[in-house]
Amino acid sequence: MNSHLLSIIVAAPAIAALFVMLTPQTAKLAIRVWSLIGATISFAGSLVAIRSYDTALGGLQRVEDYPLVPSMGVHLKLAVDGWGGPLLVLTGVILFAGVLASWTVKTRDREFFVLLLVLTAGVFGVFVSQDLLVFFLFYEIAVLPMYVLIGIWGSSHKVPPKGPFKFVWKLFDIGGKQYAAMKLTLMLLVGSAAIMAALFVMYLKAGGTTFDLGVLGATKYDRQTQIVVFPLVWLGFGTLAGVFPFHTWSPDGHASAPTAVSMLHAGVLMKLGAFGVMRIGMVILPEGARFWVPVVGAVAAINVLYGAFAAMSQTDLKYIIAYSSVSHMGIVMLGAATLTPAGWNGAVFQMVAHGIMTGLFFALVGLVYERAHTRAILKMGGFANVMPAVAAFFTLGCLSSLGLPGTAGFVSEFMVFLGAWKSGHYLWAIPGVLGAFVTAIYVLRATRTIFWGEGPSHDFHELSDPKKTEWGALVILGAGLVILGFWPRLILDYIEPGSVEHLGKVLAPVATLARLP
Amino acid sequence: MKELQVLWLPLAVVALAVVALLVDLMLPPPRAKQQPAPIVGWLVVFGLVSLLVGTFVYEPTGTAMHGAYRQSYFATYLQRLFLAAGLLGALGGLDDVQKRTPRRQGEFWLMLLSSLVGMTILPGARDLLLIIVAFELMGIPLYIMAAYSKTDAQPTGAGREPKGYAAEAGFKLYLVGATSSAITLFGLALLTGMQGTTKLDLLSQAPLTPLAALGLVFVLGGLGYKIGMVPFHMWVPDTYQGASTPFVAFLSVAPKAAGMSVLASIFLFGLGAQKDVWLPPLAIIAFLSMGVGNLLALPQTDLRRMLGYSGVAQMGYVLVGLAASDAYGLGMVLFFLTGYLFTNLGAFLVLHTTAEAGGGYGFESMSGLSRRSPPLALAMLMFLLSLAGIPFVIGFWAKLYVFLAAWRAGQVALVVSGIVLAVIGLFYYLRILRAAYMTDEGDLPTPKPAPALQLAIGLCFLAVVGLGLWPRGLVEASTRAGAELVAPVQAGQGAGHLTRR
Repeated sequence: MNSHLLSIIVAAPAIAALFVMLTPQTAKLAIRVWSLIGATISFAGSLVAIRSYDTALGGLQRVEDYPLVPSMGVHLKLAVDGWGGPLLVLTGVILFAGVLASWTVKTRDREFFVLLLVLTAGVFGVFVSQDLLVFFLFYEIAVLPMYVLIGIWGSSHKVPPKGPFKFVWKLFDIGGKQYAAMKLTLMLLVGSAAIMAALFVMYLKAGGTTFDLGVLGATKYDRQTQIVVFPLVWLGFGTLAGVFPFHTWSPDGHASAPTAVSMLHAGVLMKLGAFGVMRIGMVILPEGARFWVPVVGAVAAINVLYGAFAAMSQTDLKYIIAYSSVSHMGIVMLGAATLTPAGWNGAVFQMVAHGIMTGLFFALVGLVYERAHTRAILKMGGFANVMPAVAAFFTLGCLSSLGLPGTAGFVSEFMVFLGAWKSGHYLWAIPGVLGAFVTAIYVLRATRTIFWGEGPSHDFHELSDPKKTEWGALVILGAGLVILGFWPRLILDYIEPGSVEHLGKVLAPVATLARLP
Repeated sequence: MKELQVLWLPLAVVALAVVALLVDLMLPPPRAKQQPAPIVGWLVVFGLVSLLVGTFVYEPTGTAMHGAYRQSYFATYLQRLFLAAGLLGALGGLDDVQKRTPRRQGEFWLMLLSSLVGMTILPGARDLLLIIVAFELMGIPLYIMAAYSKTDAQPTGAGREPKGYAAEAGFKLYLVGATSSAITLFGLALLTGMQGTTKLDLLSQAPLTPLAALGLVFVLGGLGYKIGMVPFHMWVPDTYQGASTPFVAFLSVAPKAAGMSVLASIFLFGLGAQKDVWLPPLAIIAFLSMGVGNLLALPQTDLRRMLGYSGVAQMGYVLVGLAASDAYGLGMVLFFLTGYLFTNLGAFLVLHTTAEAGGGYGFESMSGLSRRSPPLALAMLMFLLSLAGIPFVIGFWAKLYVFLAAWRAGQVALVVSGIVLAVIGLFYYLRILRAAYMTDEGDLPTPKPAPALQLAIGLCFLAVVGLGLWPRGLVEASTRAGAELVAPVQAGQGAGHLTRR
């Protein structure tokens, strides 16, 4: 089976970006239509890719291999595996919904869509590349447009200076969108520097002839190397996954970013980080992973709790969602650290579930903000009376966020906690469950404050339910949450063989891995 | 006859210079208040294009002048690089020269070609005497070109520039240059005296005495001036600020590549066996260059000075590749230099364009560029991303390759510090981008570059993006060129070396 489907999925947004670039600035509709066409092709392509994936066969399928720099062993090798498929679909969904959600972008919309599409091309590339260097290349492409996207289209959130370090506010313009953009970019690039160093070691110790992930995964690195290099990969990619204490870019970044960018960033990009830790760090450096998982898991537990408590004390709607992302990404990392099939299935499932959920949240926040012109939840109240659909979707997202059975969030959290309990560190399940409990407090409180109670005060005039294209994002994402909640096998069937296969490499000698009931 | 064939390219450049001189002399003197056409300039451009094409058609190899000159693929590769730099520099400067010095345009082109003669000889030179002669031949015209615009009419728009900067630029370049030449010569005297030969092939036959090692350090320092590495970098920002920008575009790439080729010839080829002696100072200088360049670029407010310091840092990266001290590393150095050529030239030419439009050279000159001229802004974006080393533009591969080569050769500490400093460096590149894309203050006019300038920027853009997307051919060519100068290492040796550690 050797079609060019994966190349098409990766290239479609990039080519669409090119078309958008060539469209005149005044052709507003054409710009959006081109973007939507690119998004649709990728989305449809990713659906085809996952439908045609043979779960009985497992492994890499639809392999495409183009020599990029053969003398150094760099190949543009694309393939889809059990993990890649669902994540491709997630990216497709979020991109599609993101384009719809940013239909109303007004300032410099052409550049906005170009960057959005380029960024997504990078994300697609990461999920299908089977070559370490190409993986890294796509990763960088996915990360960097963020700087401009936040710097131009973001929103500033002024923080009143206080405390002995008042001068710092002035110095760095804390709370400003350019501050957020610069902070995000620099932190992520320091992470990239760590990844690059790790990449050199993996490449050269494997003989310096190939970057192929399969070959690198089969290489037996000596124990000391693995123990030294694994933290580089963990923290390098982990910075993007919001691993404590390198998560500080994420609340600022997400809060400042425009709607579609927040959706993509929290929904998909943070997953790249977790995906990198698991796919590169744990699979290629199994001994290092086994050595470090106690730390990884402990930090993830901190993430879950810290993120939840931080979210509880926020009054800015976007900051609440942003900190809840930090908390939920902690669940992903916790699942990864369990090194059990259930935990890994849960981790990847949580990537998808949280991606859809956060995408929905940020789309809703964008809608609310556009109409209310504020994100301070204490000023809001009773919005459900005028925007019932928004309230309904928001509540749905909240329920998934706190892990209510019947929503996607329940499935993943359940599996992760199960994995944590089964692993050697069953105590991890406790902060996890506690985190879910705290989540229930803050999301329900936020919902109540914003939507329920006495009708909206007289300061708000423009509140209304979504119009036209705005429905698209909400319906797709909301439906996704419910469908995955009731019918998790839909993607679990693909995730599971992937987890089992990858885990087999991590746990040597290969233990008998029980399949899920 | 064979020798003439081997030396055809330097001779052809000399011939072109002579023709240019004659044409310039024979042109009728322009009447008063008449803007003379840049005839000599176009002549030089077409001459350089045909020479560049010629190097692909006719590739002789062999030695000349009793082994003092050897034409190999290494030399050919670098000669193409210099011709390309000269060509792009000429295209970029055509308009500026015509505006600034309408009555003595010919001199500029003559100087450019003289400098190119020196450059085209350098990579093939296998004798210390020939190297130093060619090096001076390359250097002296540059002093003149830096001070060339002295007190002539400023180009339109840049009127706020105080006069006399160019003279200062030239004078500084000259003073540092002359001193460093003296240092180099002194070092070479010690080296030849102790080793008993000027031939690079025979240089490493006798073990290095302490005195010869001292000479070696002098040589390193002296050559380091031209590439602007750290203890000798102070001329860089001042000259970049003072001299005319299209010339700086040329100055910032071609002589640096030439200096690197000489370093490679003397140290890797001539004294490869004695790397224990020169590798530690080279590594220290590489580290200092990256550090000082990146850190001092941060507070700059004049973009030319910033790019000057960034150039110092970039040369630090090249030295990291050189510190790998094997054929692989040299190949990657050549790749880096090629990428740097297009990138930095392009960036300076865009800067020139925006300054011409009346914005000066501060950050505010970039303000709203993405609205005023989207193509220029896009080009600048690519150049800066390339300088910062961001994927899918050539600068990423360049940086990746030199770091990889150095890591392979065991220079782990150097690479790690390089990566960290490169991230710091990103900050100031992003600042320029921020000015171009995110601010829109003041009401600056749309830059309207002359057609030749547009062509030059377009070519740089194509190279930076095209080679970034498909670096394969260039990697193979540069690796081959590197392997011609230094015998290639056995496959896996670098990795084995690392494993042993």
